[in-house]
Amino acid sequence: MKNARRCSASTLKSDRISPIGANVASLGTLAVILIVGVSGCSTHSKRLMEPRTLYHQGQMEECRLRLEKLSKSHRGDRDVAMLDLAMVDLVAGRPKQAEQRLREVRDRFEHLEQDSLAEKTLSIWTDDQQLSYAGEDYEKILVYAFLALSNLMHDGGDAESYSLQLNDKQVMLAERAIIQNGPQAAEQYAEVPIGHYVRGMLRESSHRDYDDALKSYQRVCELCPNSQAFLWDFERARAGVHSSPQTGVLYVFALVGRGPSKVEVAEEPTSEALLIADRIVSAVGPYSVPPTLAPIKIPDIQLPPIEIDLVGVSINGQAIGPTESVTNVEQLALNTYAANRPAIVARAVARRVIKKASVLAAKTTMTKDNNLTSLAMDAAGVVWEATEAADTRCWGLLPRDIQVLRVELPIGRHQVALSPILATRQIGPMASASVEIIDGRNSYLLCCFPDGQSIGQLVTGPKSE
Amino acid sequence: MQRRKFLMGFCGVGAAHFAAGCRGYQYGHVIKKDAPNLVGSHDAGAEVFDPLVDEAVAKLLGRHSALMPECPIGPDGMPVKKAICFVGIENKSAEEIGDFKDQLYQQIEARILESDCFQPISRRMVDAALHETRLRPDSLMIPSNLQLFTGVLQRQGTPFDYMLYAKLSSGTTERNHSKQRDYTLSLELTNIHTGIYDVQSAEVSKGYHKSAMGKLWHYSPLKS
Repeated sequence: MKNARRCSASTLKSDRISPIGANVASLGTLAVILIVGVSGCSTHSKRLMEPRTLYHQGQMEECRLRLEKLSKSHRGDRDVAMLDLAMVDLVAGRPKQAEQRLREVRDRFEHLEQDSLAEKTLSIWTDDQQLSYAGEDYEKILVYAFLALSNLMHDGGDAESYSLQLNDKQVMLAERAIIQNGPQAAEQYAEVPIGHYVRGMLRESSHRDYDDALKSYQRVCELCPNSQAFLWDFERARAGVHSSPQTGVLYVFALVGRGPSKVEVAEEPTSEALLIADRIVSAVGPYSVPPTLAPIKIPDIQLPPIEIDLVGVSINGQAIGPTESVTNVEQLALNTYAANRPAIVARAVARRVIKKASVLAAKTTMTKDNNLTSLAMDAAGVVWEATEAADTRCWGLLPRDIQVLRVELPIGRHQVALSPILATRQIGPMASASVEIIDGRNSYLLCCFPDGQSIGQLVTGPKSE
Repeated sequence: MQRRKFLMGFCGVGAAHFAAGCRGYQYGHVIKKDAPNLVGSHDAGAEVFDPLVDEAVAKLLGRHSALMPECPIGPDGMPVKKAICFVGIENKSAEEIGDFKDQLYQQIEARILESDCFQPISRRMVDAALHETRLRPDSLMIPSNLQLFTGVLQRQGTPFDYMLYAKLSSGTTERNHSKQRDYTLSLELTNIHTGIYDVQSAEVSKGYHKSAMGKLWHYSPLKS
């Protein structure tokens, strides 16, 4: 039966093309596909390693130069490099530039939410790195959070709009995830409190819209039920006032720990299943298919070890307390990525199947049963599959946690000292800055502690640049 | 022949993908003043708030214009309008009104400005007085607080006669996959000299449905 089918296929074509010509054409087709399919084995995670190390060592200028170079040399990495550059700008005391970069990426991500079937088709023949990077869902949410923080650090005029946009975005992404992945996605897309917190903080500072502040803090308390500090915020918005006469409020925002990044991993169970499947197809079908020797590669979230828990705040030598988590970036990344992982694996499997089918289709054009050609095509197919690399593009300089502390202070200048804390122990030197408190107004201080050492500057706001 | 078919089919699918899947751009347009508002699918928007403000303010000012004698004429020959301190809008509805709050404030203020008998005092003055006194807007009716607050505004050269509070509230009725929400905007005007107050409100009801047929099913005119 197998031979009969082969004979009939070759009879049909033999009157048009010579057998040698047909085989050359088949190999040629495959060669073209291979050339198209060869995507760089280098992944973003490898390219990001150096700037990431520089950032965590506090070498902001060096890091900025490397990231700018990366954004120019790899067009596909441009948006994620911009996100990392925004972090460098923010931590180095250039919040206005950070906001500009983040706004640009936000608009790009919005645009890229529309599917491009042209890119999708190309990615099926190559890998996901060929797709324009539209951002992971956690990154889309955090863009707004950092927009709000950057804005607070320079003029604060748009921070409330960003916080509203953040809340809307979360709802929109959760609704979409529920439609795509079922009701279980609702839990994975639980809101992060920072949008509500920033809005509550700003509405309260109007001295008028305590009702809005109350609603926002209520939501924060629902999302962080164990936080005493947020309960105080809620109580103050319910029955108290923003601040007493002749006092103002200082908010310390701390970017704590090293955040998640993506690395390439082999999806072993799926690869093994596919290997068995293509062996079955090869055994029962007229032609062999390239065996799944190269594992299916997908990105996965990597979490660096925890080197710092929180930041202790002292003012004028007096201990005030530790910062409180207002957004667990690590958890957000893990949850939202877990919701989308099946789709990533499915896309990788579909890509393999299409590649195997292409090799099979090329084999059917062979005019005679040539084992050597078939073997060569299988080998080429294996090489083609092995050129795939996982899309590890990600916002690589995120913190593990965004934390906050609120303290009411008399008007005037105050010396604020921040100390890194791990398991109730101070693990590194203090960082300090002078902060101006204005009557009835909010002042902000932003610090970054990826580990026991503060990096960049302690950024104070609001200020006009 | 088969190969040609295969290649043509492949190219066809590819071309279809390229043609159908191009990313578009976002466009905007200016909406004419007489065009109907978009009706929000999940919560209230301009379609609810605009008529609420129009009706509530018109009712309140209309009633007081009818009750009040003609505005006295000042030494400069201009009518001396009664000054209103519009303290703010309290959102007690089930929804987050987001960026609408400031717009509602401005709409109400603009309507009062159009009145022949009332004149709102500057919002910035009100904010400055709240900032200085550190009083909550909802605590201004406590006599000592009111005295402190009016004292600050008088010192700033903006005495007032009335205090105006706006409150947005809602009531929700649910039935299976449909929901009716009644939005009420209440305006409470209090004469700070006499303590006499008046409340006027406007209401707009809106239905939310999970299916396009929900409106027909629940609000059909044929249904008794």
